[in-house]
Amino acid sequence: MAAGYSWFLVLGSVFLCNLVKSLLPSVSTFLSKVLQKDAEQETEMKSEIQEMRKELSSISMKDEFARYARLERKINKMTDKLKTHVKSRTAHQAKIKWIVNIIFYILQAALMISLIWKYYADPVTVVPSKWIAPLERLVAFPSGVAGGVGITCWLIVCNKVVAIILHAVS
Amino acid sequence: MEPVEDCAPAGAEEGSGPSAAQRRAEVRRRKLLMNSEERMNRIVGYGKNDGDGSPARRAVEPRFHLDLERSEPWSSPVSTKRLSPFLSEAGETAERRGPPLPDSRDGLGSTGTTEGDLPGGVRQRARGNVAGDEHTRSPRKGVQKYLSRFDDALKLRSQMASEKTAQESSSDSEELDSFRVFRLIGSAVLALFVRLFVCKYLSIFAPFLTLELAYMGLYKYFPKVEKKAKTTVLTAALLLSGIPAEVISRSMDTYRKMGDVFADLCVYFFTFILSHEVLVLLGSEAP
Repeated sequence: MAAGYSWFLVLGSVFLCNLVKSLLPSVSTFLSKVLQKDAEQETEMKSEIQEMRKELSSISMKDEFARYARLERKINKMTDKLKTHVKSRTAHQAKIKWIVNIIFYILQAALMISLIWKYYADPVTVVPSKWIAPLERLVAFPSGVAGGVGITCWLIVCNKVVAIILHAVS
Repeated sequence: MEPVEDCAPAGAEEGSGPSAAQRRAEVRRRKLLMNSEERMNRIVGYGKNDGDGSPARRAVEPRFHLDLERSEPWSSPVSTKRLSPFLSEAGETAERRGPPLPDSRDGLGSTGTTEGDLPGGVRQRARGNVAGDEHTRSPRKGVQKYLSRFDDALKLRSQMASEKTAQESSSDSEELDSFRVFRLIGSAVLALFVRLFVCKYLSIFAPFLTLELAYMGLYKYFPKVEKKAKTTVLTAALLLSGIPAEVISRSMDTYRKMGDVFADLCVYFFTFILSHEVLVLLGSEAP
């Protein structure tokens, strides 16, 4: 019975991989939010800069130049600090995204290799060979069974079909 | 040093256009003609110090000649070697020999070669003004060609950057237009029909080929969707390598059509196998 549903197992694996791949950006965004330690600091800095700018606009440069200059320096310092913070956050997000992608591709490669290893010699399904003539050898690769559908051919077909379906749905 | 002095203003005036570059090239050419021997020794790096010191080098190392007509000026200028100017001068002075590569480059740098003026390198001129005039025209062509290609590369780069941001915002690289959807559905329906009625009599790929031929004829009855040619790294590289845009777009179009046929085949085969397995399952479960 297991042999009869090989085609379904491969199809399910391919579908799962493609589904997870489409959800990767969301996963990496979620992980970066969870792992970000000082996310609130950025909002605090932004609000602080906004308040200081308001205060700066209320000060006359001619009458209170020293105070104006001091406040401006403070704003500049805070803005630089915010920029550094945003840069590090962006780099952190990119790093997490990269790690998540790498992990996914490794897992996907492992899954595909294990499927190919398992069904190297056995076809995923068998049909009468005259149905798929004259491409029976190509379709049966690498199993070599007459009329069989090889794992590579089925993987390619499933990948394409699942990609089309997910693309249409999304 | 005169070349160094030339370097500084040349670098500053880079943006003033080809006229300044031409003037500087002319000044440099006159200096070369007036003081060719001394200049040769300075560039080559031999002369007073190494005049008689390296006979083996003279015998083995080839003479070099740097050409401004090269289309890739930033590749190693000493890789092109022309013997005739140096052969003629070697007869005149015993000190002119091919230098080692780093020295020649240093020599070139010290003579004030700048990006705007002489991107190909310094031309060693030992002949009269006639040859010099011909050669200044070809360096100008080479400079202009290089500058135009550089502009093209920058434009393509900005185009790719803008398309990348647009793609990221839209997040859809290939839209399923009506004809594509029709093709896919038609392939699936045909696969089902073939599994039910036709597969016992002939190969399943024969109806598929007939279907594709029918699609080629039906294509004109569907609204044509203008597909914007995306500038990718591959297309940019092909454009910069000199392949005409028309050829590239036709190749991309052919490649896209082949992809459509492949997608149809995958859907057809998948539907066929799926329907076969369902029928086998229903057949096995039927009493």
